[in-house]
Amino acid sequence: MDPYSAEGELINIHNHFHQGQYQEVVDFDASALSSENAVPARVLQLRARVALGQAEDVLADVQGETESELEAVGALAEQALGNTDAAVKTVEKLAQEAADNSTVQTLGGTILQAAGKSEEALALLSQHQGNLEAVALIVQIHLQQNRTDLAVKEVAAARRWAQDSLLVNLAESWVGLRLGGEKYQQAFYVFEELAQAPATSSVRNLVSQAVAELHLGRTEEAQAALDQALKKEPDFADGIANLLVLNVITGRDPKEVTGSLEQVDASHPFLTDLAEKSDLFDKAATKYKARVSA
Amino acid sequence: MQASSGMLTKFESKSSRAKGIAFHPKRPWILVSLHSSTIQLWDYRMGTLIDRFEEHDGPVRGVDFHKTQPLFVSGGDDYKIKVWSYQTRRCLFTLNGHLDYIRTVFFHHELPWIVSASDDQTIRIWNWQNRSLLCTMTGHNHYAMCAQFHPKEDLVVSASLDQSVRVWDISGLRKKHSAPTSMTFEDQVSRANANQTDMFGNTDAVVKFVLEGHDRGVNWVAFHPTMPLIVSAGDDRLIKLWRMSETKAWEVDTCRGHFQNASGCLFHPHQDLILSAGEDKTIRVWDLNKRTAVHSFKRENDRFWVIAAHPEINLFAAGHDNGVMVFKLERERPASTVYQNQLFYITKEKHVKSYDFQKNAESPTLLSLKKLGSPWVPPRTISYNPAERSILVTSPADNGSYELINLPRDGSGAIEPTESKRGAGNSAIFVARNRFAVLNTANQTVDIKDLTNNTTRSFKPPVGTSDIYFGGTGNLLIITPTVVHLYDIQQKKTTAELAVAGVKYVVWSNDGLYAALLSKHNVTIVTKALEQVSTLHETIRIKSATWDDAGVLLYSTLNHVKYTLLNGDNGIVRTLDQTVYLVRVKGRSVYCLDRSAKPKVLNIDPTEYRFKLALVKRNYEEMLHIIQNSSLVGQSIISYLQKKGYPEIALQFVQDPTTRFELAIECGNLEVAVEMAKQLDRPKLWSRLSAEALAHGNHSVVEMSYQKLKQFDKLSFLYLTTGDNSKLARMAKIAEHRGDFTSRFQNALYLGEVEDRIQMFKEIDLYPLAYMTAKSHGLEEECQSILEASGLSEDQLSLPKLGEPLSPPKPVVPTYKANWPTKATSVSFFEKALLGQVEGLSLEDEPSASNNAFGLEEAGDDDAATKRNGLADEDEDEDAAGWDLGDDIVPEVEEGFVNVESADAGGAGSSEADLWARNSPLAVDHVAGGSFETAMQLLNRQVGAVNFAPLKPRFLEVYQASKTYLPASAGLPALVNYVRRTVEESDPRKVLPIIPRDLEYLATNDLHRGHDSMKSNKLEEGLEIFKGILHAVLINAVSSESEVADAKKLITSASEYAVAMAIELGRRQLGSTDVVNKDPKLLKRSLEMSAYFTIPKIEVPHRQLALLNAMNLAVRSKNYNTALSFANRILANGGGGKILDTARKIKAQCERNPHDAVEIEFDQFAEFEVCAASHTPIYSGTSYEECAFDGSKYHTKYKGTVCAVCGVCEVGKHGSGLKLFA
Repeated sequence: MDPYSAEGELINIHNHFHQGQYQEVVDFDASALSSENAVPARVLQLRARVALGQAEDVLADVQGETESELEAVGALAEQALGNTDAAVKTVEKLAQEAADNSTVQTLGGTILQAAGKSEEALALLSQHQGNLEAVALIVQIHLQQNRTDLAVKEVAAARRWAQDSLLVNLAESWVGLRLGGEKYQQAFYVFEELAQAPATSSVRNLVSQAVAELHLGRTEEAQAALDQALKKEPDFADGIANLLVLNVITGRDPKEVTGSLEQVDASHPFLTDLAEKSDLFDKAATKYKARVSA
Repeated sequence: MQASSGMLTKFESKSSRAKGIAFHPKRPWILVSLHSSTIQLWDYRMGTLIDRFEEHDGPVRGVDFHKTQPLFVSGGDDYKIKVWSYQTRRCLFTLNGHLDYIRTVFFHHELPWIVSASDDQTIRIWNWQNRSLLCTMTGHNHYAMCAQFHPKEDLVVSASLDQSVRVWDISGLRKKHSAPTSMTFEDQVSRANANQTDMFGNTDAVVKFVLEGHDRGVNWVAFHPTMPLIVSAGDDRLIKLWRMSETKAWEVDTCRGHFQNASGCLFHPHQDLILSAGEDKTIRVWDLNKRTAVHSFKRENDRFWVIAAHPEINLFAAGHDNGVMVFKLERERPASTVYQNQLFYITKEKHVKSYDFQKNAESPTLLSLKKLGSPWVPPRTISYNPAERSILVTSPADNGSYELINLPRDGSGAIEPTESKRGAGNSAIFVARNRFAVLNTANQTVDIKDLTNNTTRSFKPPVGTSDIYFGGTGNLLIITPTVVHLYDIQQKKTTAELAVAGVKYVVWSNDGLYAALLSKHNVTIVTKALEQVSTLHETIRIKSATWDDAGVLLYSTLNHVKYTLLNGDNGIVRTLDQTVYLVRVKGRSVYCLDRSAKPKVLNIDPTEYRFKLALVKRNYEEMLHIIQNSSLVGQSIISYLQKKGYPEIALQFVQDPTTRFELAIECGNLEVAVEMAKQLDRPKLWSRLSAEALAHGNHSVVEMSYQKLKQFDKLSFLYLTTGDNSKLARMAKIAEHRGDFTSRFQNALYLGEVEDRIQMFKEIDLYPLAYMTAKSHGLEEECQSILEASGLSEDQLSLPKLGEPLSPPKPVVPTYKANWPTKATSVSFFEKALLGQVEGLSLEDEPSASNNAFGLEEAGDDDAATKRNGLADEDEDEDAAGWDLGDDIVPEVEEGFVNVESADAGGAGSSEADLWARNSPLAVDHVAGGSFETAMQLLNRQVGAVNFAPLKPRFLEVYQASKTYLPASAGLPALVNYVRRTVEESDPRKVLPIIPRDLEYLATNDLHRGHDSMKSNKLEEGLEIFKGILHAVLINAVSSESEVADAKKLITSASEYAVAMAIELGRRQLGSTDVVNKDPKLLKRSLEMSAYFTIPKIEVPHRQLALLNAMNLAVRSKNYNTALSFANRILANGGGGKILDTARKIKAQCERNPHDAVEIEFDQFAEFEVCAASHTPIYSGTSYEECAFDGSKYHTKYKGTVCAVCGVCEVGKHGSGLKLFA
């Protein structure tokens, strides 16, 4: 039986992880699990710790482990610490040895994509067999490559065999936010449902809800959701970035928020992108000059 | 056949056997005639006995209300027919004639007739106006058990124990007794004759049909209200249906089921149903068309004797051995649900319709649910899922069933649902976008199902669960007879519970924070965590409720719409003449469904509850607004405020001085209290005031009160305590004057004046005391003189031991000079508002133009008013700038130049940002897409933009607004999505980015700030703002051609302001006043520039300021002629206030000497524009250059420079024109 299915043992921890409730994952009592689920649960907990910023501890934890799953986690931790090359190397090795291991697929895919090797990531992920996490990753990679058409196909395929799984819902919503129109509202429902139920609410899905609201043009509601999210975790960079965008859209001065984003994550895509564009502007502006200087 | 569970009993009475029943056609009354000779009049809605009529002797079997008159008729075993007035509560007269028991009596629907059936085998028709017997119908050869008029035609139907039913034609009777309108002599004769020849024959009433088929006596018979049908009930336990035509009548069918004598039957007034009652203790409902049993309701012990239907509403009554019961066959509450601005409901025809609250329009039928459940059972609830646009309908048929159906996009008639999923369950509601919960009460389970109707999880609810409701995301409210549970579906456990008995409905507030639990007589308001907020009790049934947006619950009872605030404060909003089910409140409208499932709008006056709500929330603006805009005054509101502990607010409403005084004391407002006390001047009030003031430590008020009360002692003591010795001395004087020695003594004591005391003692011959006083204070001389005066010597006295002389304490602080500094009683916002001190509430919403440095000594409110007036005229102000190039000549931007730079590498597609640039020829869309080069290219072509540096903030602003960051898979960066202004669009070829600070925003925010800075003379700031506006419009997009015109207006206006401000700033930079005055060249330039400042076309009130400035400067430099021209222009612009007064004065002054001392280059009569770069005139007729974007004018020599106004475009470079709308 699929341990992640609705009746499986791992459903709760699995859902917690993908709802972004990392602390709940770490706090999950894994001792009662049956033996075959112990490793996947441990992997999830380790990944949650990486997401919570405890990559070093995790690395120490899996040092010397030989199971491919744990090696993959080690690579993930390495990457989180900035040692991308080492991580990629490990993944490439694992991809040779155990490409059919679902943990290797998902973690490997994540690492490769983060390192910019989208093609390799897709190649590894495409070997999955009924691994929803891999599907979600493939969808995300397609979206990052602006291949919305492929992402739509991937989701539709997954829908057929995993009708109502959390991950499929999430992936569909990601695609929905790209497609727009009516899909905005549907994506909003998914995020709202997660964000507003106390049992599933997390900073990540609150921010997601806010993003959906923002796309729907409902700035006040977006503001409320972001406030809620940042109250929970004031340092959540993506939340701050979206707040910044919201401020600009509503005509408010974004200076303060920009400051806090710089403080939290100076290398956030928003800032790097902005700096890049600022340079671009200056460069482009030099092409023009008045015929007569005043 | 269904068991009796479906019976909806509304009223039951206990009495002896009930034989006759009649509903009042309008009022909630029912008449019951009893076997015990009494006739009872009940209010079945309130459940009260209104009256009893006891004049019959023996059982009364028949009663009937008159349709319009306050009358009723009864017939009894005393052979008498009595006509009663229920107003005067007595029998008006008795009709005698029958020779045996009377079984039934009925009024005719329009003629003043009564028909009666009797055991004397006759049926008689009576005229109750002239109290005569009109006709006796003979033919039955056994007891006539029942006789009724046909509701429309001239027919009577009768039933008899002779086993027959007879139909009588009484048209002859009508002819004979109808008003003699135009009657020939012959007619009259024949009529007179007829009357006489009527002795035996029945030409007035002839038997039309005799219906035979029952093989026992027939107890009851009734006509169908519209169709030619008759139903009869007999001792053969059968209900027979008969049909008749003009010429014949025949038996249609028989309904079998009663297992004892059937005593009564009737047709349902509105539905194709037959109801019958029998001695087998059952009431049975039959399908008229199929003659099959639909329902049967059984009573334990009582045989039924009679059944009656209400003529209008869906109510029935049946009389049995121990009283009557009033009941309904089905719930009349239409199933409905509200989502945002739409109401979904199911009509009586089982059609699903929607109603739009915004358009106030009903949709056509969306769906037909004819096939749902059994035909006579209406659906109970409907639950709507906006995400899937599907509905979940439950029906009590088949022991509870539900059906999940998708709604079509738009209704086009009664479509049968194409695909539906159904199952068994008593309640079914959506709990999430793709989940619904189904309660099965029989086996007590709740199933959570997905949209394919598969159970995803299932659990046992708390014992005795009777219903489930939505409980907030992921939660259910589970209703048991005594307790409500909040149940978390995920955790499968109750997270909260509250003991509320008999909850029937749950209504959530619009914000989802509160829910109202409705039971039969109680409303309980709870939070979303199921904590009780308040509860209230109603004696009358509560039917429905809905929340106002502000958090007020409106609920309906049988006859009222009422409100309750969260704190339980409630009241009546309006009365109802029929029961309705509230679904929505919006402003003054309450939307509801009536019992026939038609949407209705009721108008209400929400003032009262809004006021109370504002009071609770201390929202004083709102309160003030309500007070100013509605007639909410009077004693009730004052006593309400006082009772609720807001005397200070109540104070604001009261005029009556006594009440004002009381309220002022209550809220400690001494000022008002003093004022009122002065007005009333009653000792009682003063003493209360003094006590209150004393408590406050406000001694000056205390002093005044004591003075008024002439309480000298208290006054003296007050002065002592406050250390006011001078007033004490005066008190002593007064005491002396009054001859009040005690008082004088006391004052002297307070003052420490020993001599005065001794003197006083001497005056009243109390020498021993005088001596003692002198002695104790060591005044030996005085002692001696006293001794001498009394003729005694010291030896003769025996003195007690003397202590230290008493001296009064010296004041440390001169308290009397002022009251103790008490904490200023905070003037409530409300009071301020009422005093007109609050900004934004008073009509004068701009207190004054602040910091006005244009030489206005006092910029009063009048000026502000003129400014506003001026602004109001804004639209009429012609934007005369000749800049509008006209759209016709704007060449289409060629598609070719758009830089397609989609990197196809690595199988990646092009991002939406790239699409924007492709989709749009507007610079702003290129900016948002990050394609700055192409944006610059566009601007360069359109308006000759060359200097882009000032646009950088705007470029980045637009760019920053374009993307969001969606956290997706762990470990990967957030997914970037692109924010659109075309939210509804999903075609990638049409999507366009969002634009921050669009035209509307600029016009409402930035432009106003600019105007404000002009008014407050912050010109540097203003210049920046107007330039900012220009930049923001340059990189912008609008949605229609008309908005393009608005944008151009905005550009022109901003440009004119920028030029004006730049001129005045330039003038101020010439130097300080002294420096300028000393240098004739500078002075000339200064005067010129002040004159040019008046040229740009800015708003009139602002131009007045510029003119005033120029005028004052001119006068100061004795340029009276120029000043005169400014004064004239000011006066010509009109308005009011200070500026005009000044202008008039100066005009008068200048006209005496209309000469200029300094010659300047300013011809008041010439038409000219001001060069934006050099700030010198460009006279009309001379050539000039202009900025293609903002339209500012330049001398030709500035061609090719960067525009001084926008700072972006090249002067004289003509582009294709700014494009804001594609």
